[in-house]
Amino acid sequence: MTDTVDIHAEGVVVKKSCCYFCHQNCGVLAYVQDGKVIKIEGDPTHPTNQGGLCCRGNIALKHLDHPDRVNYPLKRVGEKGENKWEQIAWDQAIAEIAEKLNQIKAESGAEAVATAGGTLRTDDWSRRRFMNMFGSPNGFHNALLCWIPTFMMETAISGWSPFETDLSTSRCVILWGFNPGAAAMPGMRGYSDLKKAGLKIVVVDPRYSETAAHADLWLPLRPGSDTALALAMIQVILYEGLANYEFINNWCIGYDELLEHIGQYTPEWAAEKTWLTPQQIREAAYMYARNTPSNIQWGCTADQLGKTSGAGMHARIILRAITGNLDCPGGDLMPGPSKAYVTDEELEANDWLPEEQKAKQIGSDKFKMTSWPGYQKIADTARATWGKAPTAEWMCEAHGPSVFKAILTSDPYPVRALIVSASNPVNSYGDAKMTLEALKQVEFLVTCEYWMTPAALYSDYVMPIAGALERPIIHNNYGVTDSLIASQRAIQPLYDRHTDYIFWHDLALATGQDAGQWPWDNEEEAFYYVIYPLGLPVASYDEFVEKVRFYYPPLEYYKYGEGGFCTPSRRVELKSSILEELGYPSMPTWIGAAENEEDDPEVAAEYPLVLTTGGGFMPYHHSEQFNITSVRFLRHEPYFTINPVKAKELGIKEGDWCWIETRRGRIKQRANVEPSVDPRVIYAQRGWWYPEREATAEEPFGCLESNVNVLSSVDDEHCDPIGGSWANRGLLCKVYKVRYGDAKVDTQFSIPGSSSEPGVTVPPSQQKLAYEPIPYDPSAPFEVPEGLTWDPGTKIAWDLELGLAYDPDSGWLYHPETNVFYDVYSKYAYDPETETLIDEATGIRYNMETREPIPAEGGE
Amino acid sequence: MTRYAMVMDQRRCIGCQSCTVACRTWNDLPDDIIFNPVVTEGVLGIFPNVHQTFTPLICMHCDNPPCTICCPCVASQQDDDGIVWVDDTKCMACKVCVNSCPYGARDVSSLDPPLHSFVRKCNFCKDRVREGEQPYCVATCHQKARIFGDLDDPESEVSKLVNSLEVRTIFPELNTKPHVFYIPDLGGNK
Repeated sequence: MTDTVDIHAEGVVVKKSCCYFCHQNCGVLAYVQDGKVIKIEGDPTHPTNQGGLCCRGNIALKHLDHPDRVNYPLKRVGEKGENKWEQIAWDQAIAEIAEKLNQIKAESGAEAVATAGGTLRTDDWSRRRFMNMFGSPNGFHNALLCWIPTFMMETAISGWSPFETDLSTSRCVILWGFNPGAAAMPGMRGYSDLKKAGLKIVVVDPRYSETAAHADLWLPLRPGSDTALALAMIQVILYEGLANYEFINNWCIGYDELLEHIGQYTPEWAAEKTWLTPQQIREAAYMYARNTPSNIQWGCTADQLGKTSGAGMHARIILRAITGNLDCPGGDLMPGPSKAYVTDEELEANDWLPEEQKAKQIGSDKFKMTSWPGYQKIADTARATWGKAPTAEWMCEAHGPSVFKAILTSDPYPVRALIVSASNPVNSYGDAKMTLEALKQVEFLVTCEYWMTPAALYSDYVMPIAGALERPIIHNNYGVTDSLIASQRAIQPLYDRHTDYIFWHDLALATGQDAGQWPWDNEEEAFYYVIYPLGLPVASYDEFVEKVRFYYPPLEYYKYGEGGFCTPSRRVELKSSILEELGYPSMPTWIGAAENEEDDPEVAAEYPLVLTTGGGFMPYHHSEQFNITSVRFLRHEPYFTINPVKAKELGIKEGDWCWIETRRGRIKQRANVEPSVDPRVIYAQRGWWYPEREATAEEPFGCLESNVNVLSSVDDEHCDPIGGSWANRGLLCKVYKVRYGDAKVDTQFSIPGSSSEPGVTVPPSQQKLAYEPIPYDPSAPFEVPEGLTWDPGTKIAWDLELGLAYDPDSGWLYHPETNVFYDVYSKYAYDPETETLIDEATGIRYNMETREPIPAEGGE
Repeated sequence: MTRYAMVMDQRRCIGCQSCTVACRTWNDLPDDIIFNPVVTEGVLGIFPNVHQTFTPLICMHCDNPPCTICCPCVASQQDDDGIVWVDDTKCMACKVCVNSCPYGARDVSSLDPPLHSFVRKCNFCKDRVREGEQPYCVATCHQKARIFGDLDDPESEVSKLVNSLEVRTIFPELNTKPHVFYIPDLGGNK
């Protein structure tokens, strides 16, 4: 059946490309004939995937020339969101965008221009380079939910993030809120192999995930309580004599203070918070501490816990340190920045950004660890150690949600222009209703995209961007490790598409930046500059990919032995001086999960279930691939998981459309009734939108209807005061069936507080006081006919006696289950066949108009 | 002699359905044909004592295939190496074989033009296999849950697994002698 395509024919060239649909960047062999990719398959020689490709990787060709792709620059001609466009030339679009940006810069300062990025499908050092030279500190990603606060916390405390897990000789690994079975397929293969060889696997996950199924110990904790578990594990290890005291004595400071501070967090204390038994917590602590060398694998859960995120990250790095697992064979290795090739940070030109502009970074006064105040301290120490600093892109950014708020409120100053690159903010950032409104209202919006997304719809310009097969890629894990994998372009970009590097390069020159600062005309030239210091005998980047492709320096152990750890004190700072200087607690301190039964009993009474969301599931990555039929058929509708016990209690059956509601709003998903979660837990799928639906200006592509981010909060007091991340795990919710006539999704939102008020200046005990609840209006939005009762919970006016609901559009009553309509005054049922009313009790028919009884026809 | 066979290691399968999509794109199948569905059983049990099994299905390339003897056009046939396939130039889409297969492994696409439709089924990617490569679903599986090889070669991994572990086949009572073997995931977290 491959008869139409022959990959062995003459003239077919094999290109070493890679997949771009998640972070793994699996190797792809692209068979190219006459400038066209005719077939792709997994690259068997690639160290990541060894020939494997998942659903997403396999549909690269469908993605490449999908009929819905944006292929030419589009300029808005109608109103915002009207979906009326004029196709213009690339250079004209660049020139017009540059003119507008320069005008805004002249009128309101460079900081009025912000940019939002996406997940690793762009060369974002070029965006940073553009922004630094332009003078704006307000670039951001969704990095705060995606491991970046963890990196910064770990680097602040132990000198670098223990990113490289040396699993080959490890004896135990904790996969903490990490599900490689759905989010890192090649990794899952490794865990299966290692488990066979004797590795103990501990999985912390409230859901029976693909990975939990393979665990030696599965800890199904309450969503959002991870920090309490970590604190209790420290307590067990320290108070039950399981620690590595040699490492603590020689290489840690703050041990005595920690010992005193952690005493309160006993397993019995944590049992209440985590719903685990003290025995389970002890078992986990013993398994981790007794089976050294052991690892805690990185994962993004700690970044999605909201308020307790920072403390949780701090606790996990303490766990690694007190068990002596840092930088030892089989342990968690801290590679530091690459000394062999040019890192992204060196391409970012951070020196160009003036100090007074750094100070204007939105959110840097509130969430200091992941913005200039914290980054500067960490970067200074790193430069003193290695001569290089962590990447500023991702690690040192504006607080995304605060930028969206600034667009709407001009607080702390107006943000007038937003450039969105490879991101669909409505579906990826918290408080989707607010984010959508910000995209609608921002004065000047440019989107660099593959597709017409909700963000693209409101744009003034949509720029067509080249995808995976159309561009070369260097994969260096955001510069957090010292290895590198390179892949080449299979074909030049189709149509008038360009890569994001070309976009920033062209825009930089058009806004008047010095051409000498942008010496690379394409990625190949820039990447050759990156790999040149490796000193390999290659004359071009393509030659590097074809002959070498990888750079993996040998693993180095005990690097701290020479000059200590890369911290201000050259020791692992269990009691962190950087945190203390930034004004945060220097010890990991429990300040209560995002929303919980103890601190918010009145909320818990109304919303008794605990929601967990944000986790990846096949076949999608974030909010991508929903428009590609070849994978959409696998999961064509959104599902949330509910335990059968709870489902029975709520009268919910498999497949029922239900509302999931939090204090912020409600969304529709279908019920997947299975015992993979606790009866008190709801697991909802993330990222859902409906690209096949209409681009209506109010709620385009159904982007709020099933979008879990409608349920989350990005209010300052719900964010982690240290890193600024907000909660996807552990939100209080309720679930009920969708009924005919239920109101459509609403778009109401609120932004409490201001940039100067709450933030870190509010002590945890008073944080709730800063919160103004969303205005709540219990009255009906229409006139309720006499005799009916308005129920604000279901938003329906009911006839309680007969159990009938009122449809305000038609003015009729209807039965929610049978959908039979009833007259609102006489309560007679409507019979559509004879167009008469019928009294169900007596069987007598009545005339529609006059409501006079119709005599039964003679003889019957 | 060569006898191709496949082993599905259910201990490793995570139900990602990559094989389902990969097979369709590699073989350019129409939207209503799937050679490689993955059946999910569960999650079963009472939380937190639960279990889930994934069963990847495919043509069993039986030793006693009911789908070849019934074909009136000699289109549905089996080669010496055990691969059951359909010669689409001979097939007239009468669907007798479709009805005879107890595994539901073959069908006619309704999206093909009426006079050019034919029965489609998995042929173990015979073009690839006979050039020494693996079937595409095997190559694309990240988890290495599918193992393909020559059952008659005592050195092949397939032969070692089938002869050393407790393997199962689907509907053994029908005496079709399937040559796709399953290593069951016996459950539990241990």
